[in-house]
Amino acid sequence: MGFSDTLLKHIRRNVTVKVSLLLIPPLLFLAIWFYAPFFIVGLYSFDMINIQREIVFKPSLIHYLRVLSWTGAMKIFLRSLYFAGVTVILCLLIGYPVAYYISFKMKKYKDLFIILFIIPFWVSFLLRTYAMMSILDERSFLNVLLTSLKLIDSPIRIMYTDTAVILVMVYDYLVMMVLPLYANLEKLDKTLLEAAYTLGASPVKTFLKITLPLSMPGIMAGFLLVFIPAVGEFVIPELVGGPNNYMVGNLIYEFFMGARHWWIGSALSMLFIVFILSLVITYVRKMGERGLAF
Amino acid sequence: MSDVFSVELENIVKRFGNVVAVDHVNLKIRENEFFSLLGPSGCGKTTTLRIIAGLEEPDEGVVRIYGEDVTDVPTHKRNIGMVFQHLALFPHMNVFENIAFGLKMRKVQKEEIKKRVKEILEIVKLEGLEYRRVNQLSGGQQQRVALARALVIEPEVLLLDEPLGALDLKIRQHMMVELKNIQRKVKTTFIYVTHDQTEAMTMSDRIAIMKDGKIQQVGTPLEIYYRPSNTFVASFIGEAVNLIEGEVVENGLVDTSLGTIHCAGSLTKGRVAVMVRPEMVEIGDKLYNVDNLFRGTVQSIIFKGSYIEYRVDVEGNTFVIHKHGSAELGRLHHLGDIVEIGWKKNSSIIIPI
Ligand SMILES: Nc1ncnc2c1ncn2[C@@H]1O[C@H](COP(=O)(O)OP(=O)(O)OP(=O)(O)O)[C@@H](O)[C@H]1O
Ligand SMILES: [Mg+2]
Repeated sequence: MGFSDTLLKHIRRNVTVKVSLLLIPPLLFLAIWFYAPFFIVGLYSFDMINIQREIVFKPSLIHYLRVLSWTGAMKIFLRSLYFAGVTVILCLLIGYPVAYYISFKMKKYKDLFIILFIIPFWVSFLLRTYAMMSILDERSFLNVLLTSLKLIDSPIRIMYTDTAVILVMVYDYLVMMVLPLYANLEKLDKTLLEAAYTLGASPVKTFLKITLPLSMPGIMAGFLLVFIPAVGEFVIPELVGGPNNYMVGNLIYEFFMGARHWWIGSALSMLFIVFILSLVITYVRKMGERGLAF
Repeated sequence: MSDVFSVELENIVKRFGNVVAVDHVNLKIRENEFFSLLGPSGCGKTTTLRIIAGLEEPDEGVVRIYGEDVTDVPTHKRNIGMVFQHLALFPHMNVFENIAFGLKMRKVQKEEIKKRVKEILEIVKLEGLEYRRVNQLSGGQQQRVALARALVIEPEVLLLDEPLGALDLKIRQHMMVELKNIQRKVKTTFIYVTHDQTEAMTMSDRIAIMKDGKIQQVGTPLEIYYRPSNTFVASFIGEAVNLIEGEVVENGLVDTSLGTIHCAGSLTKGRVAVMVRPEMVEIGDKLYNVDNLFRGTVQSIIFKGSYIEYRVDVEGNTFVIHKHGSAELGRLHHLGDIVEIGWKKNSSIIIPI
C-alpha cells in the first residue's frame, strides 16, 4: 500500500506540473489579445497617449472627470443597469421554472429537452435577433394575425421601444440562465427534499427552505452570465431600440467608432469594467463565505 | 409486551415495471418495539420503509399508523421520523438548524426549540457542536445529527434505512449499543432496515426476514436463529449451517442419505431439511451422549479466534463444526484424521422445504 501510494503521489505531482504547462498557450493568447489592448485602453483613459498616438508620461484624470460629470452618460449608464436588471430578473423568472421542471419532474427525455432548449442558440445571435424583429414589427405576421382575428384594433408597436430591447435580450440570454440552473438543480440531492418531507415540511416549504437556498449558486452563476453581457449589450439596442434606448455599449461604440474620441471612450470603458469587476468580486466573496462557490 | 400496533402493513404490493419490489407484505409492528427488516440486497427493504414513510405509494394494500389508515396521507402529514442511508443532512444549515428544522415546520416556539434541541443533543451525545457545519463532523457525529433531527420531533415511528452502513466496524459496534440505548430512552417504535444480521440480531426485539419482496419469517432473534421457518432463513442467518435433506418417517425421525436422523419433534411431514447449527455439533475421537453419531474425515481446520472451524466430510456431505474454548487446543484434530461427530436430537430442527 505504502509503495503504490507514494508512486501515485509522485505521478500526480508530475502530471500537475505538465498540465500547468498546457496553460501557457491560452495565457499567451490572452496576454496578446486581451491584456495588451486593455492596457492600451487604460493608457488612453489616463490621457497618456496623445493625438499623435505617442505615449506621454503625464497621467491625468481629466477624461474620468468629464465622464463622471456628464449627466447624459450617467443616465445611459443607469439605463443599462435597468435594462440588464429587468432582463436578468425575467430570465430568472422564466428560466427557474423551466430548469426546475426538467430537472425535478421529468423522468425520461431530460437531455432531449435541454437540447431542444439549446438548439435555437446554435443559430447566430444576429440571426436570432433579426428573427425576433420580424415578430416585433408593426407589419409582422403576429400583428397581422392578431388584427385579422380582431383580438386587437390596430397593430401593436413594439419595435424601437424599451420593451423590444428587453424582450430580445431576454430571448437571447435565457439559455445562459437555464443551463447553470439546470446543472445546479441536477446536482441537488433529491433525498434532501424527502428528508424535509419526513420532518413535516410541505412541498412549498421544502422549496423555500431547501431547494431555493441550495440553488443559490446556480442562480448567481446565471445572474452573472446574463447580467454581464446584458449590461454591456450594444447590438440589440442598435437593432431593435430607438435613439432613447441607448445603452453604455452604444455610447462606448459611438466614442470609438463615431466621434473617434478614444480618450473618453476609454475612460467610459474603464469605469464600466471596474464596476462589473467589483460586482463579480463581491459575488465570489459572498459565495465563498457561505461555502457555496461553484 | 404491548398489544398496541404502531405500524400495520396489510397486503402491501409495490411494482417497478416488471419488478415486484414488495410482494403482499403483511406486518404488525408493536408499540415501542425495535423491529428490523433484514434481507439480502434488493429484496425490497428500503421500498417497504419508504411506503411506511409515504415516500412511495403502494400499488395495493393499506398502511396504518396507530390504527389510522394513512395510505393516502402525504409524508409531511404523517408523524414519522426517518434516518436516511446517506443521512441527507441539510448542507446549508449547521447542526442546530438541521435539528431544529422539524420543530420549526411544526411552528414550535423559539425557546421551546432551543430547549428540545439541547435535550436531544444530550441524548445523542453531541453537546457543544450546535454551531458546527455538518460537513465539519465525523461520520459518526453526522450519524447522530441525523438521528437527533429525526427524534427531536417525537415521531410516532422512527424509520432507519441502514444508518450505520457507512461507518467502520468499531464505530458501528459502538453505535449499535448506543442506538438500542437511545431507543429505550426515547420509547419510540424503531423500524430498522439492514442487510447486516449482526446489527439486526444485536438490537432488535423482533426481526422480519425478507427475500424477493416477500416476508419469510417474523420472530425474535432467538426464534429466527434456532427455529428458522425455511431453509432460506436457516442459511441466511448465522455464519454457517448444516442442512441435510430427507423424508420424515415418524415424528422426530428423518430418513436421509446418511441414515436416520433423530430430531426435535415436529408436525412437518414429507420432504424436509434437517438443520444443525455448527456450534451444536460435537467433534472428538470417541463421543458419548449424542443421539446422532457419524464418522468422517477432517477436511479443513480454520482458527477463527474465539473458536475453531472444522469441516468434516461424511460420505460426501460436508459438516461445519464450531468448537469453542481453549481446552480444545491441547488435542487439536489434524487434517485427514478420522473423527466422530454427533449431536443431541434437540439440536436438529426439521425445516419444511
Ligand atoms: N425507483 C425505482 N425504480 C425501479 N426499480 C426500483 C426502484 N426502487 C427500487 N427498485 C427495485 O426494487 C427492488 C427492491 O429495491 P429496494 O431498494 O427496496 O431493495 P433493498 O432491499 O433496500 O436493497 P439494498 O439492501 O440493496 O438497499 C430492487 O430490485 C430494485 O431494483
Ligand atoms: Mg435499501
